[in-house]
Amino acid sequence: MTITEALRITQSVSRDARPFAVTLACGFTPLHLQTFLAAHLQQALTDRKVIITPGLYGNLVGTLESISGAALPDGLVIALEWPDLDPRLDYRGAGSWGATAANDIVAGAQTTLNRIAAALLQVPPGPRIALSLPTLALPPLFHTPGWQASQHELALDANVVHFAMGVVQEGRIAVVNAQRLAEQSPAAGRLDLKSDLYTGLPYSVDHADHLASQLALALVPPSPKKGIISDLDDTLWSGIVGETGPDAVSWDLASHAQLHGLYQKLLASLADSGTLIGIASKNDAAVVNKAFERKDLLLRPQQVFPVEVHWNAKSGSVARILEAWNIAADSVIFVDDSPMELAEVAAAHPGIECVLFPKNDYRAGLAMLRHLRDRCGKERVSKDDALRLDSIRQGAAFREQASGGAAPETFLEQISAAVTFDFGANAEPRVLELVNKTNQFNLNGTRYTQPDWQKLLSAPGAVLVAVSYEDKFGPLGTIAAIAGQTDGKCVTIDTWVMSCRAFARRIEHQTLKVLFQTTGASEVQFRFTPTAKNGPLRDFFASLLGEQPQSDFRLTRSQFEARCPALYHEVHEMRRAEAHG
Amino acid sequence: MDETRQRLTNCFQVVFPDLSPEGIATASTDTIASWDSVAAITLMNVIEDEFGFEMDLDDLADLDSFEKLYSYLQKRHQVA
Repeated sequence: MTITEALRITQSVSRDARPFAVTLACGFTPLHLQTFLAAHLQQALTDRKVIITPGLYGNLVGTLESISGAALPDGLVIALEWPDLDPRLDYRGAGSWGATAANDIVAGAQTTLNRIAAALLQVPPGPRIALSLPTLALPPLFHTPGWQASQHELALDANVVHFAMGVVQEGRIAVVNAQRLAEQSPAAGRLDLKSDLYTGLPYSVDHADHLASQLALALVPPSPKKGIISDLDDTLWSGIVGETGPDAVSWDLASHAQLHGLYQKLLASLADSGTLIGIASKNDAAVVNKAFERKDLLLRPQQVFPVEVHWNAKSGSVARILEAWNIAADSVIFVDDSPMELAEVAAAHPGIECVLFPKNDYRAGLAMLRHLRDRCGKERVSKDDALRLDSIRQGAAFREQASGGAAPETFLEQISAAVTFDFGANAEPRVLELVNKTNQFNLNGTRYTQPDWQKLLSAPGAVLVAVSYEDKFGPLGTIAAIAGQTDGKCVTIDTWVMSCRAFARRIEHQTLKVLFQTTGASEVQFRFTPTAKNGPLRDFFASLLGEQPQSDFRLTRSQFEARCPALYHEVHEMRRAEAHG
Repeated sequence: MDETRQRLTNCFQVVFPDLSPEGIATASTDTIASWDSVAAITLMNVIEDEFGFEMDLDDLADLDSFEKLYSYLQKRHQVA
């Protein structure tokens, strides 16, 4: 990105767009870093107007210590550099580089890092924080020649890493990956000494752009993809299983097929963190089943569902997998070694991301593995992530039995369903994640940043209920959330989402019943907006109101009770201390 | 308007989007309050993007008006 492009991006935003305020804490003149950061954030937040406020020049710690609840930004970006830790590490400074300074610099830097860590702990809840550790080389002030790391340099590096390890445990601080930044912005091209001495910005234009890009990703990460659909032959393994047989396909080092083994390991790792893995292959199902019985397979068969193996078009396989997962094509990546198959699937499923498996091209293979991790990687893995695939399998069993002859009422009565309503889930990251990725049962499609979500939950009379579900088929985990405000008589709901995995169990009815009971309200107002995808929610309300809502609407307790079907759930309520805070 | 003048005007529009074309033609650090040191460096980089060469920070203090920048660009163009 050039500075001209960055300025045009920031100027193209509507002046009426809701502001997204970011404090940029750095000890130097932010100049282009500020311009690029605004542009990269603006690209990620198209419906907001990004406003960057730089902190105090030469006083990064003071900037952090001055952040209070009175004027809390939506985001905080910290670009740490060595001069922030000791002024003698600043090319602009007048401090001595003498031999006696080295020990003092190390000690002083540690003291400053402790102050920064303490200041970060004091930042009130709300803003997400992105942090970059020093990106510029230390000045040549230590006694060793440049090719040898001095004890003092190693100590400074170690102390910075130790500091970062401490602050990331706080949960809302994302640290820029120094290795990834180094690939994009080579060390030798980062410092612009003349710019540093003339203007106070030590970064070259390119480095400012690359660092801003990584800081923006750390502050506003993209939503991860939910699933990967993979081909088998010459993709999950090397070889054509139908020709060579199940024992002859390979994914190991000795067969020079390790790239396929690495791919399997990556898929297994992603499955462990909740990414759905499905198979779409043109093959003989019996032969493939034999191959999946091999004990040395690195992707375990139980980590894969559904498996579509037949000779029909792969676009049909992908359609059935998407239906089983109940997610949209744009949440999924399709991987195949055949450009023709990729094109066929892409044409049938607009929005799906198609990735070519690069056979025998190891550089491209590594790039693909890293790309898949980038697209599906998660900041944290919750217990709900581990449940996801099992719950989809159970959902398939649920649908099969529900349509298998028994009357719906009898079926629902006999599945031992239990719904838990958690009134103290304000700090649960899973709840906001659910709100921001649910499309079909979603009251209005509103997505929230962490600070916006905190503001909603800290408003007077705010109420948030997280809903989890379990039946004889197994637990679905946290599958719904409803949030709004109550004044005793009326409840206003701003957000209501429910995972599509939980449809057809009358959980939404039970949720309304509990809402009326616990708040004592005689009616509930819903902040409703129709979206392209929230048809299931509109249908649900049509069943209670007699017609589909078009905009905000009210539902009275008597309306609800008149049309609510029989509910068979065992209901549990959790009320934790923070629910009343 | 010659091409260099037009391209320089475009640069000013990027850095000072609220200025009219007439205001740009007469712009200087004395007449534009927002033309501070930060804006000057940003303008320099936008001109570098537009014209494809590097400017020297040492020249920046003297290039304090549209007309001076225009003359500077014409000289650079002649040298090139």
